[in-house]
Amino acid sequence: MNLLPSIRRLWHSIAPRTSSDVEEEFLSTLDAYQEDLVRKGYPDEEARRKARIDLGQVASQNEIYRAAAGLRLFDELGGDIRYGLRTLRKNLLFSAVAILSLALGIGANTAMFSLLDQVVLRLLPVSHPEQLVIVRETGNHYGNSFGADTISWPMFEDLRDNNRVFSGMFCRFPATVNMGYGARAAQIPAELVSGSYFPILGVGAALGRTIAPDDDAVPDSQSVVVLSYSFWRSYFDSDRTIVGRTVALNGHGMTVIGVAQSGFDGVELGVPAKVFVPIMMKTEMTPHSDGLKDRRRRLSWVTAYGRLKSGVSVEQAQLSLQPLLHGILEVEAQQPEFTRNTTAQDRELFLRNRVELLSGSENGLRSYMRRPLWLLVALTGAVLLLACANLANLLLARATARERELAVRLAIGAGRARIVRQLLVESLLLAGAGTILGLALAFLAARILLRIYLPADAAAEFVVSPIPDGRVLAFVVGLMFLTSLVFGLVPAFRGSRTEITLALKDRSSAVSAGSISLRRMMVGVQVALSLLLLFGAGLFVRTLRNLESLGPGFPTDHLLTFRVDPSLNGYSDEQTKSFYQRLDVNLKNMPGVASVGFSVMPILKGIAWQNAIVGKDFEGAPIEEQPVLNHVGPGYFATLGIPILAGRDFAAQDVGPRNWRHDTYAVINENFARQYFPGRNPIGQRFGLVDEMVPVSPQDIEVIGVIPDRKYRDLRETPPAQAYFPYFEDAHFRFMNIYLRTQADPHLIENELRERMRHFDPHVPIVGLQAVDEQIGFSLRTERLVASLSAVFGGLATLLAAIGLYGVLAYTVTRRTREFGLRVALGALQRDVVWLVMRDGLILIAAGLAVGVPLAFALSTLVRSQIFGLRPHDPVTLVSSTVALALVACLAGLIPALRASRVDPLQSLRNE
Amino acid sequence: MTKPVELPQGTLEMLILKAVSLGPLHGYGILLRIQQISGERLEILQGSFYTAVYRLERRGWIKGAWGHSENSRRARFYSLSTAGARQLKAETAKWTDMAAVVAGILNTKTDEV
Repeated sequence: MNLLPSIRRLWHSIAPRTSSDVEEEFLSTLDAYQEDLVRKGYPDEEARRKARIDLGQVASQNEIYRAAAGLRLFDELGGDIRYGLRTLRKNLLFSAVAILSLALGIGANTAMFSLLDQVVLRLLPVSHPEQLVIVRETGNHYGNSFGADTISWPMFEDLRDNNRVFSGMFCRFPATVNMGYGARAAQIPAELVSGSYFPILGVGAALGRTIAPDDDAVPDSQSVVVLSYSFWRSYFDSDRTIVGRTVALNGHGMTVIGVAQSGFDGVELGVPAKVFVPIMMKTEMTPHSDGLKDRRRRLSWVTAYGRLKSGVSVEQAQLSLQPLLHGILEVEAQQPEFTRNTTAQDRELFLRNRVELLSGSENGLRSYMRRPLWLLVALTGAVLLLACANLANLLLARATARERELAVRLAIGAGRARIVRQLLVESLLLAGAGTILGLALAFLAARILLRIYLPADAAAEFVVSPIPDGRVLAFVVGLMFLTSLVFGLVPAFRGSRTEITLALKDRSSAVSAGSISLRRMMVGVQVALSLLLLFGAGLFVRTLRNLESLGPGFPTDHLLTFRVDPSLNGYSDEQTKSFYQRLDVNLKNMPGVASVGFSVMPILKGIAWQNAIVGKDFEGAPIEEQPVLNHVGPGYFATLGIPILAGRDFAAQDVGPRNWRHDTYAVINENFARQYFPGRNPIGQRFGLVDEMVPVSPQDIEVIGVIPDRKYRDLRETPPAQAYFPYFEDAHFRFMNIYLRTQADPHLIENELRERMRHFDPHVPIVGLQAVDEQIGFSLRTERLVASLSAVFGGLATLLAAIGLYGVLAYTVTRRTREFGLRVALGALQRDVVWLVMRDGLILIAAGLAVGVPLAFALSTLVRSQIFGLRPHDPVTLVSSTVALALVACLAGLIPALRASRVDPLQSLRNE
Repeated sequence: MTKPVELPQGTLEMLILKAVSLGPLHGYGILLRIQQISGERLEILQGSFYTAVYRLERRGWIKGAWGHSENSRRARFYSLSTAGARQLKAETAKWTDMAAVVAGILNTKTDEV
């Protein structure tokens, strides 16, 4: 549709003729008449005068035209808007506060809600996403697991083949692979998928075809790969001839069979998959763990999804699957891999494991962000409420202040409807300006929030749009207009009912008693809400401070880390071993590096290798949590700055390819010693590992050293029981996390280190080079975001409440000037008058606090999990936020109180 | 001199339609023609004339276009549109009917009642 002509038509129907056109016509008529008059014998000046008397003035002609053409409503509205703008400009402070508080309310809410919507609420972009569920097993696991939502491959097969509730099931496994294409190489996230993945999701191909069940029938047979649409565009430049070509994944040639449909990046939000590979290629894609051919039933690694048959609810499906799972567990419990290391009690617990169905759109990022995001949405909701209360308060205050103006307008004949319309136009102007500004704010804020929340590389591709979707937009804008209408209408109607004579006589006290009690209530609400926000801000800021100041227990400044994985390049165990040995020497000789530590598992990244241990001294003892294990090199503890409390550190001669045979050494922490060797000297004690493939007998591992308890997975944890082995003790070598203690600022040698690594081995990319301080900073981003936003909101809320209180008291003072004057004239002291006003304010503050404190207590228990190092009812935070709020409020009240005390009795009484 | 007549509401528009039905006229021309036909007996109130012209143009009963008057002055000429002609016919019929009825009533002698 061509828009321009229709706009022109619309405009023409509103204003068909311009004012100059109308005036020109009128002038020509006037002139003709005037000439006639002259011809009839009138003198020139007389003729001119008579023409204008008979026909009218040129200036008013356009108005006549517009009235005749039915444009009066528009003209009047335009006048209202102009008048409204003028009024708003005249009260610049009022307008600024109102618009800004609205903009803030709208902006913060839109941004937070669209983040919540897109990250936590929205479903996968597949057909009927509400039917998709993740099938997981809850309870004690007894075995190895790649994550809480995973199950074993045999269990997936059993569930897939025997269930009656799903129209189909598929599974997936996320992996990182090295991809080579032409001269380029990259490490990319890949999704290993069962053949039913694409058909059941209902995701098609943009180009070529997707993986079909046939591609996924025989292990190692189908070397095919499907590219994600965004990866095809960015990495292959939308090359349509890519289908049929070969790319190397982990050095294995794979044929590209297609490109998945646009917008689909796998089933895990936040970690967009770039390629999809049949899960039968597991051996090739993950060279060191082969869950497919490894038929162990307690090795969980696939995430299983099912599509519910139509009409089957999640509860029904859960009920139907439970006996199926129970049957599978009974089989598993009889297998030697289970019976070897478990007691009858374990078996009984194991058989109580249950099936749980999660939404198919669920993922790690979601469950991690759900609570903090809802918390922030609640916080911003409170801010919006405050902004509304503030706006209402301001509009009420202004309506009262304008009673005189309105009375004058009524007195000179303005209609009441006209006045209501005028006031409404003004509040809509405010709301409109606030909304526009707020949406601009939201757009910026959402971008920033996404940057903070997601790792930089994910944020770049993450398809969360900063533009809120239509529903959110409609909701927010609707809400704002509703607010401004409600709070604009109340004073508008009250204003239009103004008793002219009373208002003109300046006895407004008689008129607006109702509005002041409403305003007092608003102030009470503001004080209560501000207390909630301040208290919350106090809790979150102190949580962040606790986490930052406590730290992991060792110094993290001047500490640099990165990760390498030569095995992905196809290096053999021997080659990898040699790589690490040479790298150790190379890095130790690097200028600016004080010491180097190797560790298989990264620290403070929320992950850990956990395994059950055995020992003759603690057989049969119930164990709450499996200890955390790691392989480290000599010098690891020294590099991290963890002292050896007893015994010794690993030495170079402890490092050797012994593959879990006798005389393996271990360094344990104090917690480990307390739990497993209570009351004994841990040095020289022995234990073994529970492992079905390579069991390590209870005599094999000897404790040679003890370190103090330090945090391992994250800053919030109490250090778990930990045991460390020399890093060459592992059967295979894969990735390694390397820690460097530097002499100078670690950032200074980052580039040099990259260069050095490129020289050292150009084929092995280094991943995640970062200062540990930065890594910790990133891991605390949620806490930091919550703390800083709640602090800003808390401060703002206090300010808004103070403005509200000031407004109410200032108004009271103006109203009671005569009374105060009289009191002073009769001998009241200044402080008596101050007290009179302050008492009023204190009652409001006290009422707000009386509501706020219990509410804060009740709500703080809801955020218990977000708090660290203090109790939800922390008295220090409560008292300090209450005192701070009360102080600010009192200060705001003191200003009008002091003004009241300076009332000149003569002046105030003369005004009568 | 004859007595001036005040126009009943709404009739001015009818008169304008009639005036332009005889041929395109500019505003002042319409005024003159009405005066002339009525024998200078009609008094047109200030402002009401152009209000009526604007309203008629807005309704599409007359069409305005710029042109040049007899003394070559730029002026806006109005002519009757088809819709305007229909309207004039309807109004004229209505008016004649009403006038006849009213006149009939007023002319009735007392004994005829």
